[in-house]
Amino acid sequence: MIEVKNLVKSFKDGESITQVLKGIDFRAETGEFVSIMGRSGAGKSTLLYQMSLLDEPTSGDVIIDGKDTSLLSIEEKTKFRLGELGYVLQDYALLPEMTALENVALPLLMQDIDEKQAYKEATEALTRVGLEKRLNNLPSKLSGGEQQRVSIARAIAHKPKILFADEPTANLDNESSRIILNIFKELHAEGQTIIMVTHEHEYSKFAERIIHLDDGKIISIEKN
Amino acid sequence: MSPFLNLRIGIYLAKRQIKRSNPWTTALIIFVMFFTFLNLVVISGILVGLIQGAVDAVKSDYMSDVIVSTLPDKSYIENSPEVISIIKSLPEVEAMTARYVQGGKIEANYKTKIKDTDKSDIANGSFTGIDPVDEDKVTNLSRFIVAGKYLEHGDYDQVVIGAYLLKKYMPVDSPGFTTLSNVGVGTKIRITVGSVTREVTVKGIVKAKVDEVSMRVYMPDDQFRSLIGRSDYNVSEIAIKLKPGANPEYVRDIIKSNGVGSVAKVQTFTEGKPKFITDMQNTFALLGNILSSIGLVVASITIFIVIFINAITRRKFIGILKGIGISEQAIEISYILQSFFYALCGSVVGIIFLYAFLQPTIAAHPIDFPFSDGILVAPIWGTMFRIGLLMFTTIVAGFIPARLVVRKNTLDSILGRK
Repeated sequence: MIEVKNLVKSFKDGESITQVLKGIDFRAETGEFVSIMGRSGAGKSTLLYQMSLLDEPTSGDVIIDGKDTSLLSIEEKTKFRLGELGYVLQDYALLPEMTALENVALPLLMQDIDEKQAYKEATEALTRVGLEKRLNNLPSKLSGGEQQRVSIARAIAHKPKILFADEPTANLDNESSRIILNIFKELHAEGQTIIMVTHEHEYSKFAERIIHLDDGKIISIEKN
Repeated sequence: MSPFLNLRIGIYLAKRQIKRSNPWTTALIIFVMFFTFLNLVVISGILVGLIQGAVDAVKSDYMSDVIVSTLPDKSYIENSPEVISIIKSLPEVEAMTARYVQGGKIEANYKTKIKDTDKSDIANGSFTGIDPVDEDKVTNLSRFIVAGKYLEHGDYDQVVIGAYLLKKYMPVDSPGFTTLSNVGVGTKIRITVGSVTREVTVKGIVKAKVDEVSMRVYMPDDQFRSLIGRSDYNVSEIAIKLKPGANPEYVRDIIKSNGVGSVAKVQTFTEGKPKFITDMQNTFALLGNILSSIGLVVASITIFIVIFINAITRRKFIGILKGIGISEQAIEISYILQSFFYALCGSVVGIIFLYAFLQPTIAAHPIDFPFSDGILVAPIWGTMFRIGLLMFTTIVAGFIPARLVVRKNTLDSILGRK
């Protein structure tokens, strides 16, 4: 379960301060698939970054499974992200010098899992997203859709509590986008909590709930 | 996260970054480190070697391993025949040469001078009476003959003259130092030692990079004894060459313990070498260290720039690493290891080049400096120390830029925000 309380995020640019999130409150239950929608500049990605501990909110709380993350140090947050959270970003965010297998295995190795076991689990995750034949390919040798699937495999290999996805289909064609969304659907069916930012209404329908943002505020919550 | 885990992940990251980086870029960085290594070791090695070459030359061409010379208030070694027989009896001695040395005057143009007012062609020199065979066994003097022939037993009124006494070889005209013009092999010159003047013929010209060799006039010892009226066989100095492996200090002590210490100074080469040589050695070693320090700074700046550019261009990926939960320490270690790798490779290539090629080549073909045959002095422990310094500097230079980039906000790094 993740809970956001009165979340505010402001950016300072010289003398001017821009408030991007203006007091967001919402809660996603364990196993829920929530989609965050809104027009460009509405604050969708900013909200996702605060919830996923990639950024520090100006004020407000993010509570994950009862733990107030604002109390965590930088190092504890890094450890928390490593163990409990998974990320799928718009531009795949893969490490170019590592093969698909190594990209997926890296966070597992950081959890002190031995290399053999980490590679086994990474292989399982890549098989899960249909890339069992592309294990030893570098990202540069994979299509955009395949790279995004590696990114998903990396995000789910350590079985995170919450999977965050920021516009995961933005750079993909329709076919690849459908594959990605189907994987999310399967993961959700298995009980994975997913928070996904998208601007495409068609894909937001895969979620159980759709949160509509505008000008840094939740304007509506829609149930599918 | 445990330091061991950070190290493990750091190695994992560094290995892949090095393995999959552009091979030409890697080769270029290693090339730069290789030259840095050479700058660090070879420049100072040549500076020290320049003096070492001079020191070695003084030893091999003049003083040898142990030198017995006159006491400060004496002009010869008393009981020289006895001293010589003591030296000859020592099993450690390979060869020895006894020299009679006395200052004098050389005149060249006395035959062509028409009027008394014509300028005399005169130089001051150090006259040395030697046993040509003994001298050659110790200093190999004959190999420095650049014109004419070396002395032989029985040579009568013939001399070998040092090149630095001749204008042809030493075109310097400074106050207090004069050279002879138009003197070559076969030229008759007039020498004056004490009150005795004799006409002799130049049989050969000797030129070495040691002043003591090139500024002397040599003649057979029996001739010289008759010239200076020395019938007691007391010599001025005895140079002793020891067998390989013999300890000069031990031989010195043995000679002293036989009573020679009371009639002469007995010194090893290290003790007897001129003080200015030691001063120059220290000066050049200091210069070498200064240049090495500059080399070290250049190396650290090079690595700093390389790692900084690497880290800056990979800022996004560093952000991703942090984002997925890789610790900052592990990322920093990966950059430190990369720096270490470049420095290590450069040093290994440098060591191979230095010890397998450069040092043997320079040893076989010394650098022809005006006053010495320069060699490359690069003792292994000194080299190891410098490599250690290079590694340490490199690690620091790799850590700082990595730290600067790694500590930036994770999200800013991922999104490329400033």
